[in-house]
Parts: sequence; structure tokens; C-alpha cells
Amino acid sequence: MSILEIENLTVTFHTKDKITRAVHNISLSVEEQDSIGIVGESGSGKSTLAMAILQLLPKRIARIEGEVILDGKHLFQCTDEQIRKIRWRDLAVVFQKSMNALSPVHKIGTQMSDIYRIHESKISKKKLKEKIISLLEMVNLPSRVYDLYPHELSGGMMQRVSIALSLMHNPKLLILDEATTALDVVTQGQILSEIKELEKELNLTRIMITHDMSVVASACKKVAVMYAGNILEFGYVKDVLVNPLHPYTQGLLKSIPTFKGEKKNIRGIAGALPDLSVPVQGCIFASRCEFATDICYQVKPTEELLSGNHRVACHLVGGMEHANVNHS
Amino acid sequence: MGSFIIRRSFTGILIIFVAIFLNFMLIQLAPGDPISILSGQDSPSPEMEEALREKYGLNDSVGVQFLTYLRTLAGGDLGESILSGRPVSEMIGERIGPTLMLTLTTAILALLIGTLLGIYCARRPGSKLDNLLSGLSYLFDSMPSFWLGMMFILLFASWLGIFPTSGMVDLRANHSGIAYYIDVLHHMFLPATTLTLLSIPYFFRITRSSVIQVMSEDFVTTLRATGMSEGRIFNKYVLKNSILPTITVFGITIAYMITGVAIIEIVFSWPGMGSFMLNAISRRDYPLLMGIYLVLSISVAVTMIVVDVLYAFIDPRIRYSK
Repeated sequence: MSILEIENLTVTFHTKDKITRAVHNISLSVEEQDSIGIVGESGSGKSTLAMAILQLLPKRIARIEGEVILDGKHLFQCTDEQIRKIRWRDLAVVFQKSMNALSPVHKIGTQMSDIYRIHESKISKKKLKEKIISLLEMVNLPSRVYDLYPHELSGGMMQRVSIALSLMHNPKLLILDEATTALDVVTQGQILSEIKELEKELNLTRIMITHDMSVVASACKKVAVMYAGNILEFGYVKDVLVNPLHPYTQGLLKSIPTFKGEKKNIRGIAGALPDLSVPVQGCIFASRCEFATDICYQVKPTEELLSGNHRVACHLVGGMEHANVNHS
Repeated sequence: MGSFIIRRSFTGILIIFVAIFLNFMLIQLAPGDPISILSGQDSPSPEMEEALREKYGLNDSVGVQFLTYLRTLAGGDLGESILSGRPVSEMIGERIGPTLMLTLTTAILALLIGTLLGIYCARRPGSKLDNLLSGLSYLFDSMPSFWLGMMFILLFASWLGIFPTSGMVDLRANHSGIAYYIDVLHHMFLPATTLTLLSIPYFFRITRSSVIQVMSEDFVTTLRATGMSEGRIFNKYVLKNSILPTITVFGITIAYMITGVAIIEIVFSWPGMGSFMLNAISRRDYPLLMGIYLVLSISVAVTMIVVDVLYAFIDPRIRYSK
């Protein structure tokens, strides 16, 4: 059963002199106990997508179209009050800069208790403290963290605090927005394996937003590749990363060095993200794509569904000529 | 926290000592001679000048004069005014009350009004009221205090006649009890309003920008994502974070007011330290000047210690820094 259903989600930012389309017509469905990685370079709309699901975009400039259905509830039709009830109980998030994720002048224990009590007000002080400390211990933090201030912890510890905070009410869906990006690889590895452990215990469904392919490879079941507000390729990690079909995904994977196999040149993708305030007629990636043909500039490719729920939006896929290019 | 207060008080005492030394040296270096004023302008007799110098110890070396000063100071003796011959501490005692009353009243009023307006506008940035108040804050900030004071006297005292032009009490009325306090308030209204209007902009702008900045911080997004209500986020988390710069400005404003209130006091003939200090300067009344400076430095140092301790109390990051 799918826990989160995103249908034709479009997010545009209306500023003084231009309209920027940050997320364009995205549909995605997240099954229970899925772990989906959303990858893409900076500015590709990954975080905007997350913020749109969380309804945390600034209302004055952001226009959201489409549907987001979480556990049967149409989020965009909920009142503010209903949204507040859904937040953290059904839908929790871990943000990237966890050093700043909590108020610097309040103790961590106080803030966690305060947040806990939003959704569970009838708990005694003693029980609440026990609960918070058990949460801290769950993410391998000592109980003294309860009485510390955020600046007294290291980046990794604060990240654990953020994770403990997000798991406090056993949310149905957890969004990790670049949650391990700011950490060194060792800490990142530890935290990823801890998350995977907790996931088994708590029956979590998880969306991980990252630009790090290795995080997706080691911690996710499915992956969505985003570029300039569009999902270009989607499927199981074992399909997408082993047999990438979209030229953009191939480019992303070529930019990562590998330990195994022959030494290859690490290549980036030439060019930069297009200006999202200018509407594009054809494929959004065409201007940077080395295989682009005339049709790519004229017609927007539709999503091709291949075997194993592997979906690609590219004119080259479906035609046989591309399959050869990709393995060479 | 305790060790922080002790450490901070210790530096405060050190600062007061440095201030004593600097005051002493500055006045020694300043041109002018009290003896020539004391002995009269026209052809004073050298014998009289010599006798006066001897009386006030002005023949001794600067070092000896400083040590003498410190010794008597330790006994609570601020010396005698060269001009009036009365004890300095007694003279300051008479004058400090009105100044403290005026500065504390205005500082607290400006703090309350400025901060509240700042918070109000920060929650509605770009609104009509916000634009109006921001414009007014620049206007009052750039206005000379004596000019505003004089305009108030012209308007409310001379033309409308609803407030007295000068002084702290009506000497002819001879009020007592409640009537006396009402009379003082009546006299204080114009100088206090002038000073308050001129100090509000600091508090307004610092609070407004601080609240706006804190509202855009990541932890506010986190708290929103948890489903906490906007009211609670603001009252419990944003306020405590954004009040820090206001406290600093409050300390600086008090220090600035205690020393800078002189002009307003002169405009309104307020019987405080300000006009008193300017007189002492123009007449080279060394003991009185040093006494005034000492009191001012101690009040500034004490204010700063209080502000620092308060700051550390609110912000844990300050407490632990070495």
C-alpha cells in the first residue's frame, strides 16, 4: 500500500519580476517501508519538493499545484490546524544543517520535551524525561545531552539529536533532507547504518534527499533522479545505478570515482542548470545532453515505463539506438 | 555562572581603576589653572596664589597628587570643591538624584516602547505601519536633541502653556506630599519625552532587525515542521533569541544617557549632573570634576556588568567562553 502519493506536483515561485518553476509536474508514489533516495545537483528542486510536502514553503511567493496524499489525507486541502496535527506524528523531517536545527539558547532536553508535548500533552514530567533520554540513547547519545545546549555538541551529535527528535512519535514517513551531507564520511557511515537499524525496529518509510550517489547506493531501495525540477529517471537502486538509461543519470555516475575496475577519467556534465524562469519547450536536459537530437528541443519526452518499475523520461529510451551507447 | 559573575565584577573593578587614573591624568593635562580663577581675574597677588596652591597641594608632583587622591578616595572622601569649598560627595549627592530619575525613566520607557514597536513591525515587515515607523525612526535618530527640546519648549510651554519651561519643581508653589510628586512629573514630562523620542529609534531598529533575522533561522523551520503553533514558537523561542542585542543596546544607551543627558538638562534647566559637570569643566574645579567623572565611570561600569551578567544568563554560549 502506498503511504505517500504525489500527483502532478508543481511548485512555482512568484517574485517581483519573474516566475521560477522549481518543481515541475512530479508524480511519485512511496510504498510503506520504502526508502527512496532523491538525487540531483544543487538547485534541482530536491529540497523544494520536500518543503512542498511539508508545506513549509513561504506562502507569499510559493504557488503549489497538484496533490500530495499522505496516508489517505489530501495535505493541500487540510486546514492549518489539521496540518499541525499531521506534522511530526505522520510526517517528520531531519534537516541538513542540524547545528542550527535547535534554538541555541534553550537546553536540548527542554526543546525535545516541548516538541514531544505538542502531540502528547498528557504525559507526566518524569515520564517525559525518561522518554527523551531513551530517545537519545536510541541514537547512541549519552543521557547528559539532555542538559546540554546545542553549541556544546559536535556536528555528528547534533545530527543524532535531530534524528532522535524526528523519530519521537514514530512518524509514518521520514524525510531526511541532506541529513548527512555536512558530516565526515566515517560519521556519515555510522549514522546511515544506525538509521537502517532503527528502520527495521520502527517500520519506517523514508525519503532521503541527497546529492551523494554513494548514500543512495548504500542506504536506499529506490532512487529518483531529479534535474531542474523534473524527475528524469526512477526505479530500484539496483536497476538505476547499474543500468542507468537517462544521459543525465549516466553523467552523474561518471562523475564519481570508483575503487574497482579500470581507472577512468572522472567526468562532469558540461554546462550548468538552465534558468528555471524561462519555459522550456522540449526536454529540460537537452541543452546539456551530448546525445540530444532535434526532437529533444521540440517535444517534451514522456515517461517510459520499463520492466521492474524503472521509469525514464527520455526520447532516446524506447528506441534501440540508445541501449548500445549506454554500455560502451 | 557564579564564576562568570566574579570574573566579570573583577574586570569591572579594574576598569574603574583605569578610569580613575585616566580622569586624573586628563585633567592634569588640560590647559587652564583653577588658582587664577579662584584668586580673581585682575592682578592677583603672588602671595595669595602661592597660599592657595599650598592649600590644595598643587605644588606637589603629579605622582604625589595622584597618591594623595587615591588615599583620600579610599576613605570615601572626594575632596572639596575648589570654588564653593563644600564636600564634593555632598554636592554630587544633591545632583545625581534628578539625573538618575530622568535617565532611568526615559531609558525604560524607550526600551519598552521601542522594543514593542520593533516586535510589532517585525511580524509585519513591509506593512504601512512598518514603513511609517521605520521612516520616523530615521527622522528622530538624526534630530539634534537640543533642537527638539527647544521646539517642545516653544510649542508646549511658550505657546500652549501646558507645561513649565524649566526646572524640576515650582519653587513658588511650595508643594508637599502627592502634589509635590505630581509637580515633578509635570516638570519632567517635556525633557523625558524629548529623550525618550530620541532613544526609541535604537531599540526599535535593533529589535526589528533582530526579530526578522531570528525568524529566518533554521531552528524556526524545525519548530514549524514539528507542528508547534506560531504563537508558541514566537513567544518561547524567537523572543529569547532576539532579545540579546536589545539588552546590549540598553546597556550602551544607559551609559550614553548618564553621560550625554547634559545638553537636555541645560535646555530644560534640569537640576542634574549635566549642567553641573559643564560648569565644573569651565571653571576648572578639579576635585569636583574628578568626583563627577568617578561617579559616571562607576555607573557605566556597573551598568555594563549588569548587562553582561544578564546576557550570560540568557545566552549560554557567553557563559563558557574564556
